[in-house]
Amino acid sequence: MTFEHILGLTISGLTVGMIYALIALGYTMVYGVLQLINFAHGEVFTVGGYIAATTLIYTGVDATTPLAAKIGYFALALIVSIVLTSFLGWMIERVAYRPLRKQSRITALLSAIGMSIVLQNLLVIIFGPEPIIMPTAVVPTGFIEVFGVRIRLLQVIIIVTSLVLMGLLAWIVKGTRMGKAMRATSQDMEAAEMMGIETNLTISFTFIVGSALASIGGFLVAMYYGSLQYDTGFLYGLKAFTAAVLGGIGNIYGAVVGSLILGLAENWGVGVTLGVLAWLFVFGLIAGLYVQILRAPGERVSHIAEEFRTPEYERLIRSQYQLAPVVAVKTLLSERTDALVHVSARHAVRLMAGNIVLGFFAVLFFMNGEMQFASKWQHVISFAVLMAILMFRPSGILGDNIQEKV
Amino acid sequence: MSDVVLDVHSATKTFGGLKAVNDLSFQIHAGEIVSLIGPNGSGKTTTFNLISGVYEPDSGDVLLRGESIAGLRPDQVYARGISRTFQMLRLFSNMSVMENVLVGMHGRTQANIIDCMFHTPRMRREEEVCVEKARAILAQFPGRFPESRHDQPASSLSYANRRRLEIARALAGEPKLLLLDEPVAGMNPMESMEVMQQIRDLKEAGHTILMIEHDMKVIMGASDRVIAMDHGVKLAEGAPKDVANDPAVVEAYLGRRGADTAS
Repeated sequence: MTFEHILGLTISGLTVGMIYALIALGYTMVYGVLQLINFAHGEVFTVGGYIAATTLIYTGVDATTPLAAKIGYFALALIVSIVLTSFLGWMIERVAYRPLRKQSRITALLSAIGMSIVLQNLLVIIFGPEPIIMPTAVVPTGFIEVFGVRIRLLQVIIIVTSLVLMGLLAWIVKGTRMGKAMRATSQDMEAAEMMGIETNLTISFTFIVGSALASIGGFLVAMYYGSLQYDTGFLYGLKAFTAAVLGGIGNIYGAVVGSLILGLAENWGVGVTLGVLAWLFVFGLIAGLYVQILRAPGERVSHIAEEFRTPEYERLIRSQYQLAPVVAVKTLLSERTDALVHVSARHAVRLMAGNIVLGFFAVLFFMNGEMQFASKWQHVISFAVLMAILMFRPSGILGDNIQEKV
Repeated sequence: MSDVVLDVHSATKTFGGLKAVNDLSFQIHAGEIVSLIGPNGSGKTTTFNLISGVYEPDSGDVLLRGESIAGLRPDQVYARGISRTFQMLRLFSNMSVMENVLVGMHGRTQANIIDCMFHTPRMRREEEVCVEKARAILAQFPGRFPESRHDQPASSLSYANRRRLEIARALAGEPKLLLLDEPVAGMNPMESMEVMQQIRDLKEAGHTILMIEHDMKVIMGASDRVIAMDHGVKLAEGAPKDVANDPAVVEAYLGRRGADTAS
């Protein structure tokens, strides 16, 4: 298991993760403003790729086309795809969601699933069930070498493009007037409306931005894998949606973090031997012990009200975390009614259980260090990682914002 | 009269069989503070919602400076010059103090998406002007919003300051009419008196205010006129003292027997 191999896997993981992120942002932004899972978003992504590929096929670009013309055609395909796909996203909201805005949430959800099926079938009707092949002439084929690892130029392009787009989005949301309207709408749509914000316009804008990002994602995937099929968006959409949940749905930074974790987990999970994966568990265990022994007790002690703060009390709470098996279990078995002591005892036991699980897996994986997951396990592993994280943080990694939403 | 800011003209709103507001008419003149009082469920909040565009009246009309605003969306009503605060605080708590006030100016700014994308000079100028205005508005609450607090999230403020920030956010819309929904709810007597003084200062600054309030001290101390409602109809209207002593109003609050004992 060489360093080069792991670096290569990391680059692949980041590439896929970035594409997930471009899609996940659309899910999470729409959820943010409407609390609606836009299930048609995966299809929007596919349509974006189809439009780009069709445009390029239509231009008849091939290996003999001069470079300047290739770049021109590429830009044309990109612009056509962004414009048409954004229009599609806008229309989906207008047709399938806005008329149902006042209805129960499950109604809009059904409408979303229906929209997704309609779009998939439209793709089959228009383009046929066979995959659409991306003209290879415009796909950059070069490699660059970093630390002795050959990386596809396209991977670098995907990662850089995504980073630029995310930066742009962060700036729109944080720094512009429309972004302020988006954040206000997502926190309290009614109040936003009464503060003079045109919420319908803001929601349309959200769909347009999300769809534009997905269309670029579709284009990049079509270039990366060379083809797209009418149902490609289903699995990508599902993965991106889970990534958004993993990061904390409604939070745009969470969507990026969740997507990268998912992309890396998929590639590392099946790309390296258990002996290497075990080190991840070791790092996890170190972080877990840091929380259990240093951070959590300190934080909990700071919650003690001034008038109850005595050295003995502080020591009791600290010892529950640091000697969790002994003191905390004793607290839980006793009939103590002191809320702070009780809550921290439960927390301590939970942290300890988590650390034991991490340690167990580390040892198990070290003992079978030469084994490796077959690549058909890829999706199983990524969803196992997802579930494990959600078990400990149900609101997602950066998902605190949701709890504030009433 | 020419100085009528708001004219509610026999407005009616029914929910199912319930007439929440029934043939309600009143006028508010420029520079006035009018209090809307009445027991719970008497239709005060529905009246506010009719004025601010949340509901459309089933019949009747709402006129702002002679122009009908009935049936407009809330953001359009806001743009015409009616802004409000809420009974239950509804600040954008993840946004900073400054951003909350800037959101209040949203409808007043011109910059469009193209401006934002390219960060045109027009937009930058406009943004600077907005921030300046927001500072001036926050400065109307002396000592409550020092510069150092401007970038803190609204959720970090104390309860009373959050209520003040809601008023500041409403002022950002440069309203012709300010609707305050229980501005002193949940405040201690000292804070209430301070807010009352603030409301009077707003009047001095030329604002016209309609407020829902339960605190009698604030009603007596701040309002020029009081409108009492019960079961969706207007019971009495006039100077605070007269309305408070009106037998029909006393009966609505205390019941018939209570009213008998009181008199």
